[in-house]
Amino acid sequence: MFRRSVVKSSTHVKMGKRKIAQKIVESKKKRKRNDPIHKTQQNAEKAAKAGPVARWTNKERTLIFASRGVSYRGRHLMNDLRTLMPHSRADSKMDRKDNFFLINEVCEMRNCNKCLFFEARKKMDLYLWAANIPHGPSAKFLVENIHTMAEMKLTGNCLKGSRPLLSFDPQFDESPHFGVLKELFIQIFSTPYLHPKSQPFNDNVYTFTILDNRIWFRNYQIVEEDGSLAEIGPRLVLNLIKIFSGSFRGPTLYENPNYVSPNQHRTLIKKQASLKYQNRVEARMGQMERKETDTYKMDTLDEVFHTIKPEDAKGAEKMTFFRK
Amino acid sequence: MTDPDIAAEMEEDSFDDLDSDEELQAAFSRGDLKPGLNIEARAKRVYINDEQGLKDRLTDFKKDLAWLERLDVTCGPARVPGETDPKPDEENKDEVHDDFKRELRIYRQAQAAVLDALPKLQALNIPTKRPEDFFAEMAKSDDHMRKIREKLIAKQLSMERSEKAKKLRELRKFGKKVQQEVLVKRQKEKKDLAESVKKFKKGHSKDLGFLEGKPKGGANSKQDKAAAKLGPNMKRKAKNTKFGYGGKHKGSKVNSKQSARDDEDHFSIKRNRSDVAKHQKQFGGKQRKGNTKQKRLGKGKRQKLKSRKK
Repeated sequence: MFRRSVVKSSTHVKMGKRKIAQKIVESKKKRKRNDPIHKTQQNAEKAAKAGPVARWTNKERTLIFASRGVSYRGRHLMNDLRTLMPHSRADSKMDRKDNFFLINEVCEMRNCNKCLFFEARKKMDLYLWAANIPHGPSAKFLVENIHTMAEMKLTGNCLKGSRPLLSFDPQFDESPHFGVLKELFIQIFSTPYLHPKSQPFNDNVYTFTILDNRIWFRNYQIVEEDGSLAEIGPRLVLNLIKIFSGSFRGPTLYENPNYVSPNQHRTLIKKQASLKYQNRVEARMGQMERKETDTYKMDTLDEVFHTIKPEDAKGAEKMTFFRK
Repeated sequence: MTDPDIAAEMEEDSFDDLDSDEELQAAFSRGDLKPGLNIEARAKRVYINDEQGLKDRLTDFKKDLAWLERLDVTCGPARVPGETDPKPDEENKDEVHDDFKRELRIYRQAQAAVLDALPKLQALNIPTKRPEDFFAEMAKSDDHMRKIREKLIAKQLSMERSEKAKKLRELRKFGKKVQQEVLVKRQKEKKDLAESVKKFKKGHSKDLGFLEGKPKGGANSKQDKAAAKLGPNMKRKAKNTKFGYGGKHKGSKVNSKQSARDDEDHFSIKRNRSDVAKHQKQFGGKQRKGNTKQKRLGKGKRQKLKSRKK
């Protein structure tokens, strides 16, 4: 801008020295007015007049990581959660399978006070630990029916790191263990207001629904303000196993009576499959036993006096029935 | 094995010791023991549900944050206008196992939450709608969204195609029916003609109009046209063009005036001759001397000349 003004002044040959100096000063003032730093100062002044400035005060951080041996599906799910939650932190896969108490220390090192830990067993079963870090409580779930965000049928999309609304089923207020879970989920999944990595708009909803004694998680995009939604993903179903008083330790507060471990489930299926064959064989044997060889009791001597006329005899009968 | 399990087993052992023969006999005489395989009943597993502990824990770790920090909404599914309230038990049973119903139930819950929360946010002066010119990284990449769109389009196309094929199949079925009708009609016409001829022979009627083959009614003419239009199927047609069908095949590969004319694009005698001449000029071949301008006449003319000379 300065240079332009100089050029302009050079074109006006008739302009006096004083006038040129005045012009330069004016242009400098203009530049100052448009300066970004100057602008922010102005804004700050305005804000100070309006009231206290909103700040990022809720320093909630969630550590999301998995144990070794997690399947690709579990890993994708974990990564999806990491992209959706700007207040999440990642860590390398946990090697130890026996001592989960170490997770508390890992979280402390990473400055996290919440934790989502995916525990993989047998390369096929995925468990999720949700914990409030130093003092608990913590809950262990079996994760079922996973669909990750990469799937093609989920058409929605949202800003990376926008703050989600959390929608809970009314059943969460009905029993105390669900109440604890609700508070835990709120603290873990809600993105802090004015988090530096978050976006200023709310364009997605997480839903937690209780159906069939399980918690169904869905993530929708808010397409229009009138309530039309499109699913973004991921999808998962959490089957509660236990709630512990501490984080990854402590006495059990709740145990799900409806929970059937995947191992039990598999054995049951196998047993039923084996029973199918056994039943079929038994049925066949029973049928063979019950089947009667003689359908009607006949007297073998009845046929002794049964004769026919020699004229009616055919073939071999002619040998027995003939006239002398 | 955990401690309580061990304790339970020890208890069982001691219990076994107490079951002396005398006691068993006494029990049998009382009628407590029935003949057959007696299995020791297992104690029912007790599931822990420490309600007071849970409530205490909840009050311990609950944070008193503003709603703006939490953004939680608790509400049931949004009601669809005009739908009566179904019984909860009955609804639940199908809902879980019917994918569509279950997803709809969850969708409606999310919808209710949105309708509940957005006014609250607007009251707090939080923008809920993203302006058109606000660009930021999305949760799913543009590449991924493009793939999704392509897949959707492909799916739609395939559906349309299958529907079209279905329609065509139905049409073909209809065509067969029409053909049958045509056959029946022809037979009937034949019969009618024979009858009318008979009548004429016997002198019952003196009208010979039937011989002109006037169609009695125009009702079936449309169907006839449809049948004619259908013709052989596409596969047959393709094969006919490839291998030939009907007509005379003999001599079809022999050159003719027509085929030569068709070939003119590729080969012309004139050009060929000029090419040859050029070649000879360049490389010094034999060149005709004298009346090179005189052209050889056509075959017909030459023969005529010959006959004249004779």
